[in-house]
Amino acid sequence: MTRRLAPYAVGIAGALAVTAAIGLVSSRFQVPGLSAFYLLLVLWLGATWGRGPAVAGSVAAFLMYDFFFVPPVGTLTVRGPSELLELMVLLAVALVTGQLAGSLRRTQSAAEALAADERAMYELATAALRSPEVTVALSLLSERAMRLQGVSRFALVAMDFGHAMPLAGGELTADELRQATWSYDNKRPVGVAVSNGAVRLMKTRPEGAEAAYLPLASGVAVMKIEAGHPDPSDLRMLAALVGLADLLLDRRRAVLEADRARGFEASDRLKAAILSSLSHELKSPIASLRAGLTALLAPQAGLQPEQRDLLRDLDGQANRLDRLVGDMLALSRLEAGVELDREPHRFADLVGTALHQLRPSLNGRDVKLDIADDLPPVEVDELQVGRVLTNLLENADEWAPEGGRIEVGASANEGWLTAWVENDGPAIAPTELDRVFETFWTRRARGSGLGLAISKRVVEAHGGTIRAENRRRGPRFTFTLPLARIAAAR
Amino acid sequence: MQRALRAGLRYHDFEVRAVGTGEEAVREAAAWRPDVILLDLGLPGMDGFATLRALRPATRAGVIVVSVMPGEKDKVRALDAGADDYVVKPFGTDELVARIRAVLRRQADVRAGEPVIRTGDLEIDLARRSVTTAGRAVKLTPTEYELLRYLALHAGKPVTHTTLLRQVWGEYAIGDKYNTRYVVAQIRKKLGDDPANPRYIVNEPGVGYRLQA
Repeated sequence: MTRRLAPYAVGIAGALAVTAAIGLVSSRFQVPGLSAFYLLLVLWLGATWGRGPAVAGSVAAFLMYDFFFVPPVGTLTVRGPSELLELMVLLAVALVTGQLAGSLRRTQSAAEALAADERAMYELATAALRSPEVTVALSLLSERAMRLQGVSRFALVAMDFGHAMPLAGGELTADELRQATWSYDNKRPVGVAVSNGAVRLMKTRPEGAEAAYLPLASGVAVMKIEAGHPDPSDLRMLAALVGLADLLLDRRRAVLEADRARGFEASDRLKAAILSSLSHELKSPIASLRAGLTALLAPQAGLQPEQRDLLRDLDGQANRLDRLVGDMLALSRLEAGVELDREPHRFADLVGTALHQLRPSLNGRDVKLDIADDLPPVEVDELQVGRVLTNLLENADEWAPEGGRIEVGASANEGWLTAWVENDGPAIAPTELDRVFETFWTRRARGSGLGLAISKRVVEAHGGTIRAENRRRGPRFTFTLPLARIAAAR
Repeated sequence: MQRALRAGLRYHDFEVRAVGTGEEAVREAAAWRPDVILLDLGLPGMDGFATLRALRPATRAGVIVVSVMPGEKDKVRALDAGADDYVVKPFGTDELVARIRAVLRRQADVRAGEPVIRTGDLEIDLARRSVTTAGRAVKLTPTEYELLRYLALHAGKPVTHTTLLRQVWGEYAIGDKYNTRYVVAQIRKKLGDDPANPRYIVNEPGVGYRLQA
């Protein structure tokens, strides 16, 4: 109270001092218009303390001047318009300068507040960027927010891959975490909103009682704002802090995701390295075996026919071993998530290549193709699908009776090619129809039990399906493959 | 492996020298001047591909790359780096000998410089740009002829999709392997060639095509 009245006291004291000075001067010299000194006083009062003290000062000055200097001296009488005019001028000067100074001061204090905000934000942002741990910066930020008037709580929760994790501003209750998660999942703020660069309280909110939730790009800001709206500039500052928190949480998530991707990549690289070294370790001795065995098969080696037969059998076994190793590696590669080299291919060409490769083992088997010439191309990994076709063809060859026939067909429908491989061998037991694609399932002594499992994985990696069924003629394997999106003919 | 190969190849009357590293291979190739080099990509010391690149200026010998790696990318890379052919371990001696003979035959053909290439009953007259199968003329479009001609000039050797694209469609061809697949299918149709039982053009899965020699 005293602080608010002090300027008025100064105004009156100033008027007294100026009156004394005028009295002193006019007792020695005869100077006209000394009352102008009062103008100086009023100007100074207006500029320094505003309108009120200036008016008080100007009224006091007028009264004193009237009392001490205007004849009849010693009375407070106003005689004639000239004195009234003098009073009016003093009052007008007081009002105008007070007004001007006041608005100037308001602009200045607003600018200072803004500069303070900016400095605070700048300090926070640089601290955030400098500290490698985002959580440190977030804690600083939360502390800064809680120094704002009316903000009693400011917590930040990161949403990591669907998991709420409090990072700054203290622990949250289970219920609050649920609320935060809901707010984040539905992208719906609870109790507050940010609009026009300021945090605004929502009217529906029970004032101050409960925490408010503001969903951000990678987390949620949880805050409690006291009843009775805080200062607008504080709410703007709060919005700026929320914006910075949003950026920091986002940066944290980007770092996490990069780390995670690097982890996956490293484990993929490790798997690939193990597979490739395993492949080398297993295949090298088999390669030596086959080179040695087949070298001795040359007539120049001078072996007897029955010895050569034995070697041929051994070479056949080495070859089988190689196939088994190859199948196991192929399966583990597929399970590790092999990258498909997908390109448009003519399905008839893929079947042709598989048949060409199998020609020695098919041994003149009758194969009937039912593939239209104008079938649109499929978009597949040539080698992987080649594996499917050789597996299914070999399987069919295994089961078709002597002189029996294998049929291969394909048709296109709505973006997918449906292909089948059928033989006229014995039916598969109904209970076994689903099991044939299981790893190591085999009906024959010679198979690795991996061919159909590999086929299923390859087809599914392409987004297709594969199934076994018994047709009237015999077992049929049907699978689907994606057609090329653009028919890339010339 | 080395001993088995050396024995096997000697039984087929080849003269063989074996070295253990890429550096030695480059030296030996320049000094001894072999006709065919078997190059294992999994060499100790100098990397297999580096050896392949170093061999190319040092020798005119055909290079057959031997690899245990099943990846087709390596085959393509080796062929594009100047290899004449590749075999994947494990392989039988018969298969290897057949590949070596094919490379040797091709060298002889190239040296003879005959303007007519014959494979089975397919005849390609380079001077007259005409193609016949069993004496019957086959009409090919210019693109089809260029592709067949390039395969014929390298008969027996696998030619990669990229090489075909560059040779047939030009240096700045926008690579679409389906172009080559489509054109090869057209040529096969006109030649009466069945991909399941090819007499002329054999598909090399993941790599390209080979005209049977």
